[in-house]
Amino acid sequence: MLCKLTRWLISRQVDLGKAVPRFALRHAARCGACRAYARFAASLPSRFAGERAAFLAAAPNFPLNEAKRAEDGAVRGKREILPRRLALRPFPAAAAAVLIVAGVLVLSQVVLREAGPSPQDEAAALAALKTVTAAPEEFQGMVAEAESPLAKERRILERSVASAVEYLQTRLNIKFERKHEPKTL
Amino acid sequence: MVDPGPIATKTDEELAREARAGSRRSFEELAHRYKRRLFVYLRPRLGSDQDAEDMVQETFLKLFRNIRSYDPAFQFSTWLYTSANRLAISSYRKKRVASGRLDVEAAGALADPEAGAGGEAGSAGIWDAARALGRNQYRVLWLRYGEDMAIEDIAVSLGKSRLAVRLLLHRARKGLMKRVCPAPAMATATETAAVKETPLG
Repeated sequence: MLCKLTRWLISRQVDLGKAVPRFALRHAARCGACRAYARFAASLPSRFAGERAAFLAAAPNFPLNEAKRAEDGAVRGKREILPRRLALRPFPAAAAAVLIVAGVLVLSQVVLREAGPSPQDEAAALAALKTVTAAPEEFQGMVAEAESPLAKERRILERSVASAVEYLQTRLNIKFERKHEPKTL
Repeated sequence: MVDPGPIATKTDEELAREARAGSRRSFEELAHRYKRRLFVYLRPRLGSDQDAEDMVQETFLKLFRNIRSYDPAFQFSTWLYTSANRLAISSYRKKRVASGRLDVEAAGALADPEAGAGGEAGSAGIWDAARALGRNQYRVLWLRYGEDMAIEDIAVSLGKSRLAVRLLLHRARKGLMKRVCPAPAMATATETAAVKETPLG
């Protein structure tokens, strides 16, 4: 159990450079297998590096298909001209799009707006206006008719009071005199 | 504008930047540098040398198409192996869907990673021993020691967590030790370890 833990800690030292704890060092000092593992793990970089060239040389030296990449690159170059231009300049592209939308909106307002009144309609409207301005009396009458209900009430009351006074003067043979002038509204 | 300096002395990242800017020559240099490395990486998980070659071609074609999406902040090798892994997984799934199941030959090759590994069976090098461990362990060993990649980069390439990568590496080291140092050698190593100074601490 301690061997497993010690070897894991040795691997941790090799991979991460963290120091091996003291208890693991004490164990390794007693355990030859763990010391052998430590030595083996430490020797691996040089051993792998030493044999790497021979290992790679044993691999087949196949040719790379450069023609296919060249063909692919040519096709891609043609295909990507327009999208890449847009992709590389996002702000000008967005500004152009906004301008186009604004232009379309303005044009739609100008072109699709409702047509103005015809000359006949304009002439009829002017004639009607003239008849209204040319009849101020009618306006005055309308204004007089539209007097306030309070003044109307007052006039009715005055009339009834006057008739009552007249009746009483005739019946009692006396004369009523008004002391004060009536207040205006 | 592409720098006309000697192309062989440039780093992978410099070449990738130039390829991104449109230099086909830089991309060809990258492909030349990595084709065998990618082949030995992909070979154990594919059915045959031919499949591995096709996958290498496919990977470089994909990289060429997407070279503009390469981020120079990252290592080129990380990007390359990530793409290769995804393509290999995708190819495996397509094969499985097309045939309903893996054909016997491919399944046999997958189960026995030592078969047709590109090198001679009796070469007995440490890389051959690594390849015999199994696909996942071999992949992390290649990326760690063959490509000198950091644990984080390996995790990104394989789509695994860092802990999973460390576990795979740990198991690979133990398995490799059993294969490279058999029991008598282990006994000798144990005896000499008692005498020699420990590399720990």
